[in-house]
Amino acid sequence: MQSGVKSDMRTTTHMAAATLAAILAAAGCGGKGEKAADAGAKPKDEKAAAKDTGDSAQSPSRWASDPYPSTYQPYPSVTTVIRGATVLTGTGARIDNGTVIIENGKIAGVGGAELATPEGATVINASGKWVTPGIIDVHSHLGDYPSPSTNSTSDGNEATAPNTAQVWAEHSVWPQDAGFTRALAGGITALQILPGSANLFGGRSAILKNVPSRTVQGMKFPGAPYGLKMACGENPKRVYGDKGGPSTRMGNFAGYRAAWIEAGEYKKKWEKYWDEHGKWAAKNGDKKKSAKKDDDSGKEPEAPARDLKLETLAAALNGDITVNMHCYRGDEMAQVIDMAKEFGYKVTTFHHAVEAFKVADLLAENGICAAVWADWWGFKLEAYDSVRENAALVDAQPNSCAIIHSDDEYGIQRLNQEAGKAMADGNKMGLKITPEHAIEWVTANPAKALKIADKTGTLEAGKMGDAVIWNGNPFSVYAKTEKVFVDGALLYDASDPKRSPRMDFEIGQRNEGFNGGSGQ
Amino acid sequence: MTHSSLRLLTAMLAAAAAALSAASAQQTPGQTIAIQNARVYTMAGANAGAGANAGRIDNGDVIIKDGVISAIGQDLTPPEGATIINAEGRIVTPGIFAPWSQIGLVELSLDDEANDASTDSHFPLSAGLDATDAFNPASSLIAINRAGGVTRAIAAPDFGTEMFGGQGAIVDLSGRANSVFRAGAMQSVAMGAAGIGYNGGTRLGNWAALRDALDQALAYAANPTAYVMRPRNDGLSIGDLKALGPVVRGTQSLVVAVNSVTDIRALIKLKAAYALNVIIIGGSEAHLVAREIAAANIPVLMNPIANLPAQFEDIAATQANAAKLNAAGVTIAFASAYADTHNLRLLPQVAGNAVANGLPYDAALAALTINPAKIYGVADRLGSLEIGKVADVVVWDGDPLEVSTRPIAVLIDGRVTSLKNRQTMLRERYKDLSRGDLPLAYRGAN
Repeated sequence: MQSGVKSDMRTTTHMAAATLAAILAAAGCGGKGEKAADAGAKPKDEKAAAKDTGDSAQSPSRWASDPYPSTYQPYPSVTTVIRGATVLTGTGARIDNGTVIIENGKIAGVGGAELATPEGATVINASGKWVTPGIIDVHSHLGDYPSPSTNSTSDGNEATAPNTAQVWAEHSVWPQDAGFTRALAGGITALQILPGSANLFGGRSAILKNVPSRTVQGMKFPGAPYGLKMACGENPKRVYGDKGGPSTRMGNFAGYRAAWIEAGEYKKKWEKYWDEHGKWAAKNGDKKKSAKKDDDSGKEPEAPARDLKLETLAAALNGDITVNMHCYRGDEMAQVIDMAKEFGYKVTTFHHAVEAFKVADLLAENGICAAVWADWWGFKLEAYDSVRENAALVDAQPNSCAIIHSDDEYGIQRLNQEAGKAMADGNKMGLKITPEHAIEWVTANPAKALKIADKTGTLEAGKMGDAVIWNGNPFSVYAKTEKVFVDGALLYDASDPKRSPRMDFEIGQRNEGFNGGSGQ
Repeated sequence: MTHSSLRLLTAMLAAAAAALSAASAQQTPGQTIAIQNARVYTMAGANAGAGANAGRIDNGDVIIKDGVISAIGQDLTPPEGATIINAEGRIVTPGIFAPWSQIGLVELSLDDEANDASTDSHFPLSAGLDATDAFNPASSLIAINRAGGVTRAIAAPDFGTEMFGGQGAIVDLSGRANSVFRAGAMQSVAMGAAGIGYNGGTRLGNWAALRDALDQALAYAANPTAYVMRPRNDGLSIGDLKALGPVVRGTQSLVVAVNSVTDIRALIKLKAAYALNVIIIGGSEAHLVAREIAAANIPVLMNPIANLPAQFEDIAATQANAAKLNAAGVTIAFASAYADTHNLRLLPQVAGNAVANGLPYDAALAALTINPAKIYGVADRLGSLEIGKVADVVVWDGDPLEVSTRPIAVLIDGRVTSLKNRQTMLRERYKDLSRGDLPLAYRGAN
């Protein structure tokens, strides 16, 4: 029984175990208990199909099917003008005495004091305060390891086989996790919920707007591509070492490669079918029903059997799904980069990249983001070689993509502080990192890694009205959010208890009465 | 403060560290050091409650001789031959005292060979475990956390496999062979959700089992030779009963893991019934019974950022906890998985979050320094900068609670310590990835 491990690799913790983490309410995440007790995750709706090409112009690929589509709708907003604040735009700019205009749920203008107030707008005097884009976390397990953390809510790791690419995190996400509300008070407006890291292929992620909803579909970020979770190194070895393997790192790689080979064949098979079916349909019009043809050439081609696991992998090969690889060691990242070239896919982001500083040049050359903690380390050997300057050293490379992530329901509430630590350590070693740059580590760069940078992650005209007003410099330990806007709607207001969501689980309990909800 | 003068100071401190480590090798800790021109938070006379006062002295000097504070105040004349550290207005505090950790017991949490923090499940001994048997002063965590300003810590076996955790010690983070300050400083026991796994799955079992263990320990202590082991599968061994002797006599603190109001009240009753010296660890709902806890004189090692219903016993967890407990007069210190053994250096960040949520600044500093010393009964020696006390001193490059602040000098027992560690060396090795005449493995190792 090991204990006190806070992040994604807790593999044997039971509720009964009196870990410090349990006592001090730091549940950690991903892999906290490979309790795969109820191997659910069997999609009930088999008719939703790879065949569904999706008419949306945003998902032209046949592999980007969307059988559980987002039903998210922005909440009503008023035209809002935030004046007088120090604005960090997320594009590398800082505007002192700046103005941010949000109109129709979108950023309508960002500039200096000269920006005119649209008629009828609500003006917020934010003098002395700071404004940033909404914070985005690329690595969270909210909802799939929710609070309270019990056997019955442990839904993050389908640790029943080393390849569970067929599972989708959204089928585990409990939208009533109070962690979402606390994250909102930390300025989080969008986040990626990943399956855990027990498996070589953990399954699909869910990209969410941080807006409470009865259903996970009601939180899904419209138009965001899915992500695939993969894991390097110790976790798959540890979990499957005496369950049939892999038991070694070379076994891990053999497992990834075999799966990519299979996925490549599956992809070819379906593309051949679509091609032939397209030709057939062109010839036969829409007369599927009367397709009783004697002549062989007129027979409707038969669709190959669907395989959920290979469908996800094929979509990753096709570039429709981002690839999120949990990988601590620099040398393993280098091998994964070669593997991606071998099979023709692209790694989007290495997560928990504690050793990214050792291969920062390689990551930048290959256009791969490194999502890191500011300073968490030591839970295992692959997390031993940590430096506090990791994010800053990754960032120092040209064309780099440094991200600060949480993987933790307490960390997600203060990614601003984590970025502040990483910035400070970079500056103490002589790098010159400005606040307007460092804010990108928790806004623009995670948006880029999630392929939603055209929609959110910066304060630019036309983007979603996802913005945070802080009571001071957000890189200070004392900084707190005052107002959080999502698509222009004011969803958290520190001064108004009515603008603070409370989840079903919490209401009517003894936490009610003092502050409650997001601001708890 | 310009960069160049900062560098100068750093270089000076490095030289002082070299000189002093040579001195310590000869077992002569008699170096005299004068820290001048600092904003000193002495923590002298700090008390819990609204009146917490960090004893601030601006333009203050601290004179250190023979490992202890020999003078403190303004415009002091440094003794002849003293090493001068000009703090140039920076903040000086007592060293951080981590009131709960597995420092020296764990190198890598998930690697059995590098983790002595807890035994395997169903190992028959528990209370008799003694952290000093396995404490490793050469652990890399010690230099790393020392560079973050942590100078003292409880090194205790972790909760994890049995109801009792075992005996913890107060250690310093000098890395020297003899860094155990006080062995047998505390015992721990898991109640609440943390304990039910050993006690029939209920809180009923928890408290009945704890009373039973205390009764056995009392019976053993009263007459060891007459004590007959009970035919009980999981009864305590003689070694465990012996170890619980100081607990039932009230001379050794018992750190009890409880969070809910129900468990806290049960603990208050138990303390009275057995005349125990108890400390709460956890206490996520303690703010709801803050006055009762204060009246029972029970300190709380708490996590100020716990604000989620992590378990059913944490339903009322809130970041207002620290401020409310302090206001009620409860002595608090911080123990947080966010700043766990590998990252005790993040305790100031945790404290800063408490301040952001209403805890007075001076009370937060007290919770990091003097309060742990009081809680473990060593405030006569540790925890504040007062004449005669052990000179654990940190010079910070900014507000110690701020996330951008790091120590520029850390003194333990009056010695300037090295801030170099594996992490700073790895940084030096990899900060320039360009190919050189030799592989990277030849860089940054000296």
